[in-house]
Amino acid sequence: MEGSPTKEGPTSVASAKSSVPSSSLSFRNMHRVFTASRTALKSFSSYADLIRSSPPPSSSFYAMTSSLLHPPAHLPPTVALQLSQQAPILLQSTPSSISPYSLSSLWSAAESPELWMTYENLMLSCLRTGDEESAHLCLERLTARFGAENERLMALRGLFQEAISDDDAALKQVLEEYEAILKKDSSNIPVTKRRIALLKSLKKTPEAITALNQFLDSSPTDAEAWAELADLYASQGMYQQSIFGLEEVLLITPYAWNIHARLGEILYMAAISGEAGAEKYLAESLRRFCRSIELCDDYLRGYYGLKLTTGRLLTGVPQASRQAKSDSVLAAPDSKTVERLNETATAKLTEIVRLSTRGDAAWGGYDKAELIAAKALLDTDTVKTTR
Amino acid sequence: MAQVPVQTIHRDPQLFYWILIPITLVMILTGVLRHYATVLMASAPKKFDLPTIREQRSLMRGINLRANANAVSPSSFQVRKDYLVNAFENGAFLKEPDKKGQGAPNPMTDPAAMEGMMGMMKGNMAMIVPQTLIMGWINAFFSGFVIIKLPFPLTIKFKSMLQAGVATRDMDPQWMSSISWYVLCIFGLQSVFNYLLGSDNAASQMAQQMGSMGPGAGAQMFGPGVDPDKQFQGEAENISVLAHHYTLEGVENRLLESVRV
Repeated sequence: MEGSPTKEGPTSVASAKSSVPSSSLSFRNMHRVFTASRTALKSFSSYADLIRSSPPPSSSFYAMTSSLLHPPAHLPPTVALQLSQQAPILLQSTPSSISPYSLSSLWSAAESPELWMTYENLMLSCLRTGDEESAHLCLERLTARFGAENERLMALRGLFQEAISDDDAALKQVLEEYEAILKKDSSNIPVTKRRIALLKSLKKTPEAITALNQFLDSSPTDAEAWAELADLYASQGMYQQSIFGLEEVLLITPYAWNIHARLGEILYMAAISGEAGAEKYLAESLRRFCRSIELCDDYLRGYYGLKLTTGRLLTGVPQASRQAKSDSVLAAPDSKTVERLNETATAKLTEIVRLSTRGDAAWGGYDKAELIAAKALLDTDTVKTTR
Repeated sequence: MAQVPVQTIHRDPQLFYWILIPITLVMILTGVLRHYATVLMASAPKKFDLPTIREQRSLMRGINLRANANAVSPSSFQVRKDYLVNAFENGAFLKEPDKKGQGAPNPMTDPAAMEGMMGMMKGNMAMIVPQTLIMGWINAFFSGFVIIKLPFPLTIKFKSMLQAGVATRDMDPQWMSSISWYVLCIFGLQSVFNYLLGSDNAASQMAQQMGSMGPGAGAQMFGPGVDPDKQFQGEAENISVLAHHYTLEGVENRLLESVRV
């Protein structure tokens, strides 16, 4: 897959923080917490995105059985591969068709939502690993049960077609199909989202932004869509708009610590991009990271951002200009507090990196890339102080 | 005190085979049938068109803002407040902006509302019709039979419950008539249906009665007969009087106090 430099934004944070997730990743983390929006989230990560942005393989953190009931987007590739290798066996062992009216349902086990969730997730895993036959079988069984006119299935079928098309021309055809469906029924939300995801993977970012804005006008309580929009704006360097979008997400899910941290990151990027009011952005960014740590103990990204922002506040900006605060915005905390925060963040980061690289059982679950980035940050810090 | 002699009634054992078992069987089968009839008759969940979705979700957005306003900075909150209050008051999100201020439509003339009522009717019919038929059937064939004796003593108060259709004054309340067995079946077969059809079956009346008593909150919020304009006006007022406390105020000190390295 091609690298996606546009995704991270043109600033140096992106390069410094190699672990800054692409939008869909942070999205997925949120997803892990708020499973309620399960259906929605999946619809945005296109096939290409799945492969491009999937996190590196981690330990056997995910148990085999439970992973089929999780949305597959955040499964590490090894687990996805494992799952799809089991697909033929699994497909054989489950009955090929279940009708809600058949007499046999009186004595056989009742169909459960888990079964259909398994099919859907299995299909996505199979598509990731290129097992198109099994994926097609899953799709067919879902269609046999829910009918081809089911909105979610229309989107799934579109996803399947996106996955098997080899070039942009085929993808464009899928896009046209989406548009035909939407012309008939403009309230088909899953297909609307797929269309936006496809626009994004075709690198038509302005169109995707327009479509998202249109979608959000009619459905402003969709946290996923707001986060996606914020991400697209950030990729275009439009930080103001991106911040607005993430604030909307927070208004829907106020305790999503990863969104707090993400907003902190965007604020930091806005601050160092030299926009007007860098002061204000930096102070808010610092507080966002504080809040994310407050909501989630030992949150690596939170501490990383905290260290970064406090470091910048301590070195970069002269004290005098900080006094010029506007009335409605909180000023940055005094330098003593900032220093203490910086020390805390450094100590915590060191602890997390030390314990989890040692393989402590209780400290697993951290993303490897994030750990490496944290380590790199700590190393540059020590180099500076020894000089 | 002399012992009250135990009443003995000689029953034909055939009563057991030809009344007790048929009634039970028929009750179970009706329950199963009703479940499938309800599944087949259920109308698909209503699909809303885009303007309706927009109207409902915009209102939800206002409610979200009110509930979670503390997560965003005062200036961000002010911007959103000004925008939403203005839009709510002008009816910018209404499904039919030109009908603003005309009050709620009459639910009886609104076809969408009628549809919802039809769904409710169907559910009730599926319960009432078989109930009536079977009651009539039992009355016609089995009324006046005493079919079993309960293995435990009961007080006289139970007579009217257990011996419906048998007008014998002196009979011990332990004896049970066929109609009472039917009534007992109606209420007692719940667990059998749970076993046969799964826990969310439509065969049990209990669930249906509960459902008709307390309709979901969503139905009340956007149900027929509610004027969306009134809701928007109310929400605009709620938002405009909201006091805003920024969560991030002093978060750094809270954090320093709580985190021990």
